[in-house]
Parts: sequence; C-alpha cells; structure tokens
Amino acid sequence: MELSAQQMDELKELGNIGASHAANSLSQMLMSPIDMTVPEVVLIDIADIADYIRDEIAAIVIFEIQGELSPGGYVGLYMPRDSAIRLTNTMLGSTDMDREFNEMDESALLEVGNIMISQFLDATATLLDIVMIPSPPDIAIDMAHAVFETIISQVASDINSIILFKTDLRSTEHEIQGAIMLMPDYTTLNEILTLLERMIQG
Amino acid sequence: MTAIGLGSCIALMLHDPKRSIGACAHIMLPESGGKCDRPGKYADTAVPLLVEELIALGGVKRSFVAKIVGGASMFSNFQGKLNIGERNIEAVRAHLQTHGIPITAEDIGGTVGRTLQYNPLNGGTISVKRADGSCSEL
Repeated sequence: MELSAQQMDELKELGNIGASHAANSLSQMLMSPIDMTVPEVVLIDIADIADYIRDEIAAIVIFEIQGELSPGGYVGLYMPRDSAIRLTNTMLGSTDMDREFNEMDESALLEVGNIMISQFLDATATLLDIVMIPSPPDIAIDMAHAVFETIISQVASDINSIILFKTDLRSTEHEIQGAIMLMPDYTTLNEILTLLERMIQG
Repeated sequence: MTAIGLGSCIALMLHDPKRSIGACAHIMLPESGGKCDRPGKYADTAVPLLVEELIALGGVKRSFVAKIVGGASMFSNFQGKLNIGERNIEAVRAHLQTHGIPITAEDIGGTVGRTLQYNPLNGGTISVKRADGSCSEL
C-alpha cells in the first residue's frame, strides 16, 4: 500500500476537521481551551508498530466504525494513565492521583470517548457525505501496544502495513493530553480516498 | 530478544537447550490462508519457519522446546470480533503438536498485556512483565 503526498494531505485535512469537532466537545466538557496538533498520517509496517506505540499504561476507548462503510475499521481515544485519571478527577470532583481506576472512572471515560468520537465521525462523514456511526464503545486500561496490536490484527489480516491517523489534544490548564487514532479498514481507506478525490474534482 | 506489549498476539520462543540457541516469532493471527509473504505473522506458517531457522543455526529438532506468551483478551464488549487471543493460542498449540515440540512454559490468556525478554544463552529464561504490574520468570 502506498499513498501519494496529495492523498496524505487530503487525509490530514479530513482528520483536522473531525478532530477539531472532537476537541471542541472536550473543551466544552472541561470548560477549558484545548490545543490540537496538525494530524499526522503515517503508513506503518506491522513489524514496526512498537516504534510508534509503546507498552506504557493508557486508557483506550475504542469504537468500530459502522454505517455505509462496513467493515469500516476502528477509531479510538487514547489517553496516558495520568491524563485519564486527571480527566476523571476533573469531571468527578476528586484530586486523588495515586489510585487505581474504578468503575466510575471507566464510565466517565466511556462517556467522554463517546461524545468526542461521535463528533469526530459525524464531522468527517458529513464532509464525505456518507453515514458513519460509532458502535457502542469498549474500554481497555492496559499497555497501549497490547491494545492497539489487538485492534490492528483485525484490520491487517491481509495487509502488512496500516494507516495510522493521529491528532494530539492537550489541555494545559488540567494537564490532560490524549490522541484520536483512526485505523480504517483497507477497503474503507480506499473508499474514503475515492470520495475525497471526487470532492476535490468536484 | 524483546516483545513489547503483547495483547492478543503470541510470542513463540523455540529453544534448543543443549545448544543454547533460540528463535522467536510475534504471531498476530491463527491462519495465513495461503499467504506466504509474512510467515512470522500467522501461527500455521510461523511454527515451521522457526523450526527451519533453528535447524539452520545448528539446532536438532528432537531437543527443541517451546515457550509461549500472550493471547490475552483485551476487550470485554468486543469479544466476538476481537477475541482472537484464544484462537491464536489454540492454533499455536496445534501446530507445535504436529511438529512434536513440547511446550515447557507458558503465560497465556487472561485480560492483561505482557512485555517479555528472552535470552537463549541464559538457559532460555523468559522474563514477563504484565500490565497489572506483576512479573514472572518462565
């Protein structure tokens, strides 16, 4: 699989629009400004995933992309352990950092993920003029690499490289950072590229 | 050799204790379905690959032993789709049995990720660190 520089740019722009909607919803929930990086689009060989994602503990809320594109792939909200705790502390009115994740944390993270990823998918789908709906979410609080390789094994059964699509979000006030990661299925990626191409020629 | 953050994937270490040599594969899926471009990725192609490579290094097949780590179930709601850890374990076991290679140690299944280090020179010891903070030696 290879992507041209222009296709990479188109994907970045698509991610940018989706992520800014997601960032906006996080900003409203935290009542605090959120900074966002320009999205990165990288083509990663499955043998090199560990160069990008390590085994630090993180909270990952994951959704399957459903709707017109099926199987669509996966989209997730990634948050390092300390950021995830700070986020739920902010929401639940606690300050205790030195604790384990409990059920309240998990449901708060699921809810934040749900709102942000729905915004992300809705904005990208509207732009592409298709229907993309997130499945009910699931959450894993574990080594980031262990979680992502499990998802990647689903989208990379026939291919040896995946497109990872990543935007970092940061709240300086609350010291919270996270990322939205999109791992489209191969056919979905091609479909998205075709739609983008058509839009530009328009 | 190191395998970082194993989730549903399996690290298969094939070890020849008499010669202190070993080979390791990071297996992602149970079946290759006839694809042969990445033999280490699938259980059915990784087992014969490691056997060949270890023989090429001077190993003798009848003394080979296997250790396996990984195959966790990382999600609770997505079980049907993402629970390939279990299928990976079964496939690796079946292919090792076909080759008559015994499994002498394993740390598999469960719901947590694992990182491991394997040193063929040091008696083939494997140190495993789990996401819940626990550690063990295989």
